[in-house]
Amino acid sequence: MKRNRLVATTVATTTTLALGLSACASGSTGTGTDGTSEGGAGDIRVWLVGSDTPDEAREYLKTTFEAENPGSTLTIEEQSWGGLVDKYTTALSGSDSPDLIEIGNTQAAAFTSAGAFEDLTDRYEELGGDDLLPSFVEDGTYDGKFYAAPYYSGARVVVYSKEVVGDTPVPTTWDEYVATVKAATTDTVSGLWTPGKDWRNGMTFVWANGGQIATQASDGTWEGGFSTPEGIKGLEQLQDVMLTANRAPADSDEQEPQVPFCAGQVAYLAAPAWVSGSIGADEDAEVPGCGSGIGSPENLSAFAAPGKTAGEAAPVLAGGSNIAIPMRSANKELAYEALKIMLSDEYQGLLAEAGLVPAKVSQADLMPDGVFAQASAAAAAEAISTPASPKWADVEASGVLEDSFVRLAQGGDVTEIAAALDAAIERTLNG
Amino acid sequence: MTSSTTVAPPGTGLDAPPRRRRRRGSPFPYVLLAPSLAVLLVLVGYPLVNLIITSFQHYGREQAFGQPPTWAGLENYTTVLTSETFYRVLGRSFAFMVVAVVTTFVLGTLLALLMMRLGKAMRMLVSIGLLLAWAMPALTSVIVWGWMFDTQFGVVNHVLTLITGQQWAGHSWLIDPLSFFGVLLLIIVWQGAPFIAFTMYAGLTQVPHEVLEAAQLDGAGAAQRFFRIQVPYVRTIITVLIVLSIIWDLRLFAQVYALQGIGGIVEETSTLGVWIYQVGTASGNYGMSAAAAVVMVVIMLVISSAYVRQTLKEED
Repeated sequence: MKRNRLVATTVATTTTLALGLSACASGSTGTGTDGTSEGGAGDIRVWLVGSDTPDEAREYLKTTFEAENPGSTLTIEEQSWGGLVDKYTTALSGSDSPDLIEIGNTQAAAFTSAGAFEDLTDRYEELGGDDLLPSFVEDGTYDGKFYAAPYYSGARVVVYSKEVVGDTPVPTTWDEYVATVKAATTDTVSGLWTPGKDWRNGMTFVWANGGQIATQASDGTWEGGFSTPEGIKGLEQLQDVMLTANRAPADSDEQEPQVPFCAGQVAYLAAPAWVSGSIGADEDAEVPGCGSGIGSPENLSAFAAPGKTAGEAAPVLAGGSNIAIPMRSANKELAYEALKIMLSDEYQGLLAEAGLVPAKVSQADLMPDGVFAQASAAAAAEAISTPASPKWADVEASGVLEDSFVRLAQGGDVTEIAAALDAAIERTLNG
Repeated sequence: MTSSTTVAPPGTGLDAPPRRRRRRGSPFPYVLLAPSLAVLLVLVGYPLVNLIITSFQHYGREQAFGQPPTWAGLENYTTVLTSETFYRVLGRSFAFMVVAVVTTFVLGTLLALLMMRLGKAMRMLVSIGLLLAWAMPALTSVIVWGWMFDTQFGVVNHVLTLITGQQWAGHSWLIDPLSFFGVLLLIIVWQGAPFIAFTMYAGLTQVPHEVLEAAQLDGAGAAQRFFRIQVPYVRTIITVLIVLSIIWDLRLFAQVYALQGIGGIVEETSTLGVWIYQVGTASGNYGMSAAAAVVMVVIMLVISSAYVRQTLKEED
């Protein structure tokens, strides 16, 4: 049977091909040859993440940049928050790097420490100097060098619609808050919408009870803080809310909260303030909201999650983004021009209108008056960041936080979950 | 790991045209071979060599951005081979592979047998349906299947509620690992069976009619004819299909990764490919992930070489 040799060869060839494809896991790098020389005209690509940046700001950036730099073009490419660290690791080390990128403030250290960004230390003063939000400057600085500028900050607030919760008074203390969301729960309505994967909002419960993600000892080693009595207490309270005051699936994530919110299935929603934009969008928008119903300006309101004592806000995760110019960008000068536009008062004003906190301290008065801005400001005052380690982004990327909080939402044993989570965090941060 | 698992293999060698005996010493065949060899060398050889080198290095995110790596000796391999997670993931991948290969193969063969008995119009219809499932990009199909199995708004829960009268809305199909792999199996089989069906159909229709007829006259039932005559005739094709399926289902990546994004617990559902990706690209430990990938390559080589040797032995 002559056919057999052919079959054998085919198997061999295909096997080799298959193996070759699995070998692609190793990242090969190269330098860019396309693009134009520094200073000349060129086409730059800006990567913005998620729908946080409003459309008006995108439009403003593009038109302003192209007017100021005749002959050059600017393209905005939207990336997704999920898997961002992986994506940037490959995209920024390759030959087809974007020219300007947004990155989550807690993720920036993974790249500043790896030398992935252009050093902006000499331009620190020109970009705003000490006027730039200090904690974000810290996020974008590594080894005394400034790599990633603040983009915006967005504190997490609690959003509700009067159409769903009626005249329920705004809670003034943490205990009242927990009682309120429990009381608002029905068979179909989540008192507090707590999808299992949403560790970012879940952390508020840990912090409000005095727990920590991890603390650094004097010798530099990290110790996980979920297993401390305070951490356990926080996780137990969160689990209680997840199981008794929540109808979101245990393994769902916090993306697209406007869908259940607009369906009237959410009484209170903990989310970044810009979520009001998604909820208030028109019913026939590309990403539909419910701007004339549950999410109308008269119905929609917000407050900062209250702290232990009245008049104080609960600690929330300091959210927000930095912007940086990738090392391998082919148009660094043009990218810098675009970066300057993004930090300008006009551009930041557009962000502020959408509920984001501007990148410079002096721009705070660009925030429109209203409940969202007030709630944002109150929450931002108590915001806490993730552990200041270049390896923290690896903890986030490993998915161990999502896994642990999903297990909580399933009703798993709190002590075991906390111990496993602490061990995983210590392994990564100290490893 | 940018590959999808639905890459069509080159022809399975069914209709090898009769070749004329070539003259010895002519360089012409080598000239013809050169382009494909060059492509193989660049596309397969270079990454493979790179992978092996990386597996012996301390290679992290800093190195991806240009810092020189340092040599690690066998450290990456010892870490991988002494890691409990690695064996758990390996066992999980193998178990799923066995179930997926058997299910895909049985279903594909049954489809092929069905196609042989169908009329022209119906056969065309079935072929088009199969072709569409096969041609669908892996990522797209996972997302659509994910929507169907959505916990809150999924059509599966909706229909189950209508049929059983019980409340299925809120039932998560992905949070339990076994159920997660059930959904994954559905996606893999749905997409993998058409290729098996087409190839088996092509093979089975080559079995001489007279032989089958003679067997029937001698009183052989349908099952006997299938296992005693048709299967032996297409045995080599079956071998190739099984080897290919094993490789495809073992290096599964896109489907698992995308499904994890929809729901479920990552740690309890990662297969070999996804785990290697998590260690490497996501956590920035390229050295260790390269070592794990080399181990995976070796395992696959062992599996497929056994088959290749067997096929070569049976020749002539």
